[in-house]
Amino acid sequence: MGRVDVTMEVCGMAGDGTIAAGGLLNEAMSAGGFSVLGFDSYPAEIRGFGRCVTRSRVGTERILALVDKTNVLISLDDVQSHSRVPYLAWDAAVFFDSNPPVYVEEEMSLAARVEPGATLFAFPMADLAAAAAGTMRGRNLTALGGFAAAFSVPRDLFIEVIAKKFKAKGSRVLDANIKSFDAGYAYGLEHFSDRLRDTLKPPPGIKTGPEKVMLSGNLAIGRGALDAGLKLYFGYPITPATPIMEYLAARLPEKGGRVVQMEDEISSVGAVLGGFYAGARSMTATSGPGFALMTELITHGVMAEIPAVILNAQRGGPSTGLPTKTEQSDLHAAVFGGPGDSPRIVIAPTDVEECYRHTVMSFQLAEKYQTPVIVLTDFYLDNRVENLPMPQATESEIADANEYPDESVRGAYKRYLMTDSGISPRSIPGTEGFTFSATGLEHVEKGTPNYTEDNHMSMTEKRHRKIAGALEDLPAPVEYSRGGPLDVGVIGWGSTFGAILEAVNIANERGLNVGALKITSIFPFHGGVIRAFMNRCSEVLIPELNYEGQLANLIDHLHHKDVVRLSRATGVPISPSLILKEIETLALAGA
Amino acid sequence: MKTSARDLARKVQGIGEAKTFEVRSSELPTWCPGCGYFGIHHGMNDCIRKLGIPLHKVVTVSGIGCAGRYPFFTKTYGLHTVHGRAVPVATGVKLANPELTVYAVGGDGDGLAIGGGHLPHVCRRDVDINYVLFDNSIYGLTKGQPSPSSPQGMKSKASPMGTTDKPLNPTLLALSYGASFVARLFAGDKKMISDVLLEGTKHRGFALFHIYSTCVTFDKSYKTWENLKKWIHPLPETHDPTDLRQAFDRVLEDDWSVGVIFKREQPE
Amino acid sequence: MAGDHVVIIGNGPAANEAAMTLRERAPEFRVTIVGREHVRQYKPHLLPALVAGKITEEDLFVRSIAFYQHAGIKLRLGQEVVDVDFDTRRIILAHKEVLRFDGLIIATGGKPRIPEPLLVFQDVMMTLKTLTDARSWIDKLARVDCVLIVGGDLTSVAFAKTLVSLGKTVKFMVDEHGFWPLHLGDETRQEVARRLASGGMELVPCRKLRGLARLSADEIRVETDCGRYTVGAVGAFFGLVPDVRFLVRSGLYIEKGVIVDENLMTRYDGVYAAGDCAQVYHPTLRDYWVSIGYRNAENLGRIAALNLIGGKVRAETAPESIFHVDGVDIPTSWWAEI
Repeated sequence: MGRVDVTMEVCGMAGDGTIAAGGLLNEAMSAGGFSVLGFDSYPAEIRGFGRCVTRSRVGTERILALVDKTNVLISLDDVQSHSRVPYLAWDAAVFFDSNPPVYVEEEMSLAARVEPGATLFAFPMADLAAAAAGTMRGRNLTALGGFAAAFSVPRDLFIEVIAKKFKAKGSRVLDANIKSFDAGYAYGLEHFSDRLRDTLKPPPGIKTGPEKVMLSGNLAIGRGALDAGLKLYFGYPITPATPIMEYLAARLPEKGGRVVQMEDEISSVGAVLGGFYAGARSMTATSGPGFALMTELITHGVMAEIPAVILNAQRGGPSTGLPTKTEQSDLHAAVFGGPGDSPRIVIAPTDVEECYRHTVMSFQLAEKYQTPVIVLTDFYLDNRVENLPMPQATESEIADANEYPDESVRGAYKRYLMTDSGISPRSIPGTEGFTFSATGLEHVEKGTPNYTEDNHMSMTEKRHRKIAGALEDLPAPVEYSRGGPLDVGVIGWGSTFGAILEAVNIANERGLNVGALKITSIFPFHGGVIRAFMNRCSEVLIPELNYEGQLANLIDHLHHKDVVRLSRATGVPISPSLILKEIETLALAGA
Repeated sequence: MKTSARDLARKVQGIGEAKTFEVRSSELPTWCPGCGYFGIHHGMNDCIRKLGIPLHKVVTVSGIGCAGRYPFFTKTYGLHTVHGRAVPVATGVKLANPELTVYAVGGDGDGLAIGGGHLPHVCRRDVDINYVLFDNSIYGLTKGQPSPSSPQGMKSKASPMGTTDKPLNPTLLALSYGASFVARLFAGDKKMISDVLLEGTKHRGFALFHIYSTCVTFDKSYKTWENLKKWIHPLPETHDPTDLRQAFDRVLEDDWSVGVIFKREQPE
Repeated sequence: MAGDHVVIIGNGPAANEAAMTLRERAPEFRVTIVGREHVRQYKPHLLPALVAGKITEEDLFVRSIAFYQHAGIKLRLGQEVVDVDFDTRRIILAHKEVLRFDGLIIATGGKPRIPEPLLVFQDVMMTLKTLTDARSWIDKLARVDCVLIVGGDLTSVAFAKTLVSLGKTVKFMVDEHGFWPLHLGDETRQEVARRLASGGMELVPCRKLRGLARLSADEIRVETDCGRYTVGAVGAFFGLVPDVRFLVRSGLYIEKGVIVDENLMTRYDGVYAAGDCAQVYHPTLRDYWVSIGYRNAENLGRIAALNLIGGKVRAETAPESIFHVDGVDIPTSWWAEI
């Protein structure tokens, strides 16, 4: 099966149906059996103005990351598309309207800007749409039609997804949309015959396995929380976490749960602690600035040993930072933020499937280890879409993980009992014979405040022991390599890992000897496994989307020499080519 | 007037014999002898006993301050949380298990300064929790700074020239924020506390109990037992607590009337 | 003056030679080539070899795209000029873009000529002028075995040989207008015919095509004076005519091609025409001649560029290159072999 790897963009002004077109494109490609990864950019500030760009990478092999160059540009607004030209591959295909309402001067022309290697597909999108459906509104679909014809995408794939999307809007709208698409498709078949590309005709046998759906990181998180039996969501709107709250607001009530928009992030996390304390799985999601506000209560949860699930969807920082840009710079805050020796669990998914899985996992971790669990995602991961089989959770993944006190201690229950594991059995309010008071003050086993030397030492030690014990339940680092000694080992976390793995795969194809290590348990981390991997590498490279190299800071002591940091504070995902360049430089230097 | 240690011990022994340990835990309160909080404590314990709800179905959530220690002194479930956040934490507790009876307790600093941002929202949300605000117009635990309910001109180490800001009126605030049950009480009247608390706890919706108290250690001039006993008086007989306008009038004309100021009939 | 924009319409040998001359001699000008086809310049005489499968598409191209980028020549491919307004010095492209020019060189070359009586069969016949045409032939030849070639220009000869080499049955019909603009004498024509016949092709004895009808995607019924038969495809090879239809209402003097003086300038200042699309005035003959052939086109392109930047070079008819077709000398430089 020939390898397909095409990056496509739809670019337009807000209101052109750009995002809808991009969505249909993703769905159609997914329906065709391709692996799809999409990431849109929206106007940052005010609605109704500004450029929308959808970006999708499509292929026969699992797509791990976005790359630098675009192979197809579908322009719904040529002036907005100017900004996309520098990202075009030398032989890109560019679709644009050949009959704009007014004549376009050379400086404003899209066709004037593209490099000669590009193939132009100019066709009268608006006119075709108007002729077919009586309105120009479907011209985004006409554009898709022309594209489908040019790239040999079977018409049925698009018709199928258009029907699904517009079914609810009635047959008239659906009909108009199909007609708009077909107008472009027919035109394309007739007029693009001299420069057809058959790259996107799904190869035979490409569709294997269960049915796939397009899911964003945020939706996967929401779904994971629902499946895990989330009962209460408390939150405050903040980019990019708000969609999680909105997703749950629509669906939690029918499962007997509730979403409450609180007055700020402090009350959100406070209510989560109150909820979990009283026995209900509770969660909040926020971003950097909101997370900062939650710090005090997080350390309270650590001291009082109360479970909580807190999702930090990282964005450009510090402070208000870059609300619509991606970054991985809250690791320090998540692991160390807050006063005192306050260990807590921090996990970080690397793709949409893990967004689901880690969210599900976080509830059992919170319950079992009686601690706040912080799940770190980032703007890119939250907003990007991938196609995958709808994730499911097994019974054992969502079962109650709380350790309840034994009957034998009824009436003499000690909430903070000293144990080997550090986990003190926890009773839930409403249970007779096991009342207790939780507190943020240092305390003895019974829970009453106590500041004596030995007690503080042993209680602190207990809390650390407890968290360290979580390692056995936390996902271990995963290695991707041929095994044995490696010239370069690349370690990464979060959404950067996809680009790392792609770079490593390419490096190995080119004959280098390189491996990748995926870390999803940020704290506690599997020091032994990481050190063992590092020992086998001549060079260790840690690419991350933050300036200070926050993961590197956490684990570089495990290596006997300096790790090489690839620290980027750009607000956009690191591309595989950048990592590959670094890998090759290191590999050759060592050779 | 300070009580001697011998007197205190005698008092505690008396309490034990009086079987008031039912609700109270065996932990000795850390409040100064003569503190107004003892009275509130008695009143609350009495209320809980009268409610007939099993203690394990009651949760007391507190913030930071002298009032913050409250959960340790009862046999209910307790959650001693951070400064100013008792109200949202209590919200979470109640929503998680509506069968629980939830009390949020805190002082005037906890509830009106750092926690002030939560008051409007718990009122408008009408969460069925009971908020007991221990108002002694001072920061006792940190040794005597003025609080948002301290009068203008109050002198302290933190305000040697006297405070310049006007005090907040928690009862007025609660009415403005749309609370469905607002009561003002006096730590010296344990019976009224017990009765009103009972009524408010049974009330389906958010209930605020603004309780005037003393700080015998750090406030020798304003809210002393002497002054409070002189100023405090019950609401007039004619007061109709279901009339919001009357409630506002009572609160605006008089800082020292106690009783159920406002109570909104709630649907099923 | 510096920054002036010179636009060259066309992307063949005349256009490219003009562009490179301008780039060399007038670096301060902005130079844009606008080509209708979606690919960069290629050698059309190699198309038969492409169809024969002897070379790949890559072998056709003259130079890389990077060349143009390094040379600072803006190459605009797949874009068609639909009108030129000489008063306002504006070129209108098919996608409603306006290109303003200071200097203009029209080098659109020729397009396959279909004699008037046969225009009605245009859709049934296939030509071989562009890469797209070649691709269509490759696609068609995968399915058909019998081809009728009508016309008989030089290309047709090369092409017919290609078809024979692919094992196809070739019927060849020499039309008296086949070698336009040259008229072959009877003798030459008979000689050519004899040679063709000996090359494995069946010569259709008559000279008039009466009718063509498409029976199916790959079947065409042919009617001639001397019989009727079914073939898989019909190729029209009647030479080229200047490709200047889009200029007929622009104000330029157009007869068969764009009328230019001996310096290749049109009636408008700064506007030149070069190559197969031009009809050049010959002061001595006091008549117009049309250039044909690759080398001539390059030459004229160069001259047009030189004159646009201030030169006064006279365009000469190139010395005839004698080409041999199966041992017969034909005084034409059509489809010049390098």
